[in-house]
Amino acid sequence: MSPMLQGLFTILIGVGACVGYFYLSNLLLDRVLFPPRGADPGRNISRANAVRPWLFLFPAMGALGLYLVYPVVGSFWRSLFNRSGEEFIGLGNYAALAGDEAFRTAVLNNLLWVLVVPAAATFVGLVAAQLTDRLSWGNVAKSLIFLPMAISFVGASLIWKFVYTNDADIGLINAIRAMLGAGGPVDVLQIPFWNNFFLMVVLIWIQTGFAMVILSAALRGIPEETVEAAILDGANPFQIFFRIKVPQIMGTIVVVWTTITVLVLKVFDIVYTMTGGNFGTQILPSYMMSFMFRDDGRATAVAFVIMLIVLPVMVWNIRQVRKEMQ
Amino acid sequence: MRFTWMAGAAALALVFDSAAAQDLIFPPGEDDRFNWQSYEAFAAEDLSGQALTITGPWTGADKALVDSMIAYFEAATGAEVDYSGSDSFEQDIVIAAQAGSAPNMAVFPQPGLAADMARRGFLAPLGADTADWVRENYAAGESWVDLGTYADANGEDHLFGFFFKVDLKSLVWYVPDAFDEAGYDIPETMEDLKALTRRIADEGGTPWCIGLGSGAATGWPATDWVEEMMLRTQPPAVYDDWVSHAIPFDDPRVVGAIEEYGWFARNDAFVSGGAASVATTDFRDSPAGLFTFPPECYMHRQASFIPTFFPEGTEMGYDVDFFYFPAWADKDLGKPVLGAGTLWAITSDSPAARAFIEFLKTPIASEVWMAQSGFLTPFKAANPDAYATDAARAMGEILLNATTFRFDGSDLMPGEIGADAFWKGMVSYTTGDSAESVAEGIEARWQSIR
Repeated sequence: MSPMLQGLFTILIGVGACVGYFYLSNLLLDRVLFPPRGADPGRNISRANAVRPWLFLFPAMGALGLYLVYPVVGSFWRSLFNRSGEEFIGLGNYAALAGDEAFRTAVLNNLLWVLVVPAAATFVGLVAAQLTDRLSWGNVAKSLIFLPMAISFVGASLIWKFVYTNDADIGLINAIRAMLGAGGPVDVLQIPFWNNFFLMVVLIWIQTGFAMVILSAALRGIPEETVEAAILDGANPFQIFFRIKVPQIMGTIVVVWTTITVLVLKVFDIVYTMTGGNFGTQILPSYMMSFMFRDDGRATAVAFVIMLIVLPVMVWNIRQVRKEMQ
Repeated sequence: MRFTWMAGAAALALVFDSAAAQDLIFPPGEDDRFNWQSYEAFAAEDLSGQALTITGPWTGADKALVDSMIAYFEAATGAEVDYSGSDSFEQDIVIAAQAGSAPNMAVFPQPGLAADMARRGFLAPLGADTADWVRENYAAGESWVDLGTYADANGEDHLFGFFFKVDLKSLVWYVPDAFDEAGYDIPETMEDLKALTRRIADEGGTPWCIGLGSGAATGWPATDWVEEMMLRTQPPAVYDDWVSHAIPFDDPRVVGAIEEYGWFARNDAFVSGGAASVATTDFRDSPAGLFTFPPECYMHRQASFIPTFFPEGTEMGYDVDFFYFPAWADKDLGKPVLGAGTLWAITSDSPAARAFIEFLKTPIASEVWMAQSGFLTPFKAANPDAYATDAARAMGEILLNATTFRFDGSDLMPGEIGADAFWKGMVSYTTGDSAESVAEGIEARWQSIR
């Protein structure tokens, strides 16, 4: 069977099964379980209506349970066992992590990432959104800023690896240094502590476009009257932007911020391709990679730690999205 | 649509049929580089109608090479041999063995998995005769026997793996013209090599190109350096203890070997681009410095595969050549060679499998592959003239002169060490951490593997 037909078939089966499920389950509820007949049809109708929402919720809850709740619980359980999963060692994996120098480095680096990347990407995105808004060629500028979004993390890392290359003939940074007459080339990815920031630049470069597009839409949604009133009151452009516009889109800013934060906590590709975790640039996801398929207990424990860090950010993010909806 | 597909399949089947019944690549009796006598003698064996299945890691062009060698066995004995290669050989063979559907023979790319399968009772011992044969006929024979000997399910040691096709790591690449121009001689000993290194630096040149970069595997070339130094500063038994974790990774002898590597790599005057660039220069780009004018460096230590990454049109023996990475004259440890190799094991015993092992002991089996490409052997009776290139012959000679052969140590260590901690440790050592602290870190990680 050709892939085309297979695709069509899959769609038909999928849609048909959904429709079939809702139709048949409601039929069962109304005709068999609580038919509006007999001694008290009214009671049956209200009973059926009490059950009905659960019928509609069941597929989503089933899928969430199978693909989210079960893995979370299962992962935590798995992280209490040794490397081969045969021996129960309680919190031994977590204790071992706490005592591991490399893990501490990874946590500290990850905190840096979480502080710097979302803040920088959101701020740059916001400024770009504001500045490109009134330009005649603003859309072209926006497209250019948005383009990196379309590049995979690995692709972006390789591009930036060229920028950072330890050779004035290839690396942009070293070429500029050479132009300014600095001594020999410098490998910025080997400068302790600061090399983390050079890696973060890659992610900021990718994410700025996302922040800019969302915030630009939010800026357009601000009622004109408020801005006009501010102008009449003699506010300068900076005051208008920071004291009139920004507070009105604060909700959107927080959503963008938290979304990027969640992303930061799962990106390992940049570190993996650019430094391989060497030179003190390890972050939690790449640290986890070095245990995966070797010491699964330890790897799962790291995964769980990452989840604990993400959780509050996620909760905050969902709350903000809800507020925005209202 | 359906019809054309069928036609295509039919055509494919024809192609494969003719491949299976391929002609012998070198007609028997025609070329006196080959030991046809050993082929004729072997033909006395009649295995007509017997089938032999082999699986291994070689696919594509490599599969064609191994098939060309197997064809001689088929022609000599009348047996039907079916070799199938797989990129995921290491997973496939374990699954097949557990399911009881193992092929007759398996070709392992490294000893670790073979030892593992021997312990679980999936391999048949090759017997004491074969062990004696290897000891007698292979250069550094005892090493090859040790590498193929593992404990079985009852903890008794037997020879399970027969090494056939070897790769060589202990090579230093150089440009003959550059050496002549500067008046340098090929160093015969480690003392000479160090003296030459100093001399080149004193004369304003850069002796070495070293590059550890390899994406996520950054650091592995340094593990080869350390293994070479282990073999040149300690007896082979210590190397084996190190690889099997019988001595800790932070043993002073290991730290000493790491520092021997550091003598070359951590000295700004000795490496192209300075010590800082060693850690990030890609191993594929690293040898390029040999070919610039004036040379950015004079020497590059790397395994036999590296010519793949030399500039287009580089002619072996003329534009570039190599010498054996020498041993110390005053340490009396002979001429150790570091490398890798594939070993053949019997996973489902049959007369045809036994006969095939016997066939691998004939010079002709090696010579047919030597005369093509990608095959080196420590087998003393195989005619070196059969090698297709002078370079291969010179590498073969290094193997024949070896007194000790040891397998790439990081390949034998657990993945967490050999393919992660050791690599990363070497990068941090190269960029300035002390050898002790790096070795302690690797040891701590090894300890945590309970």
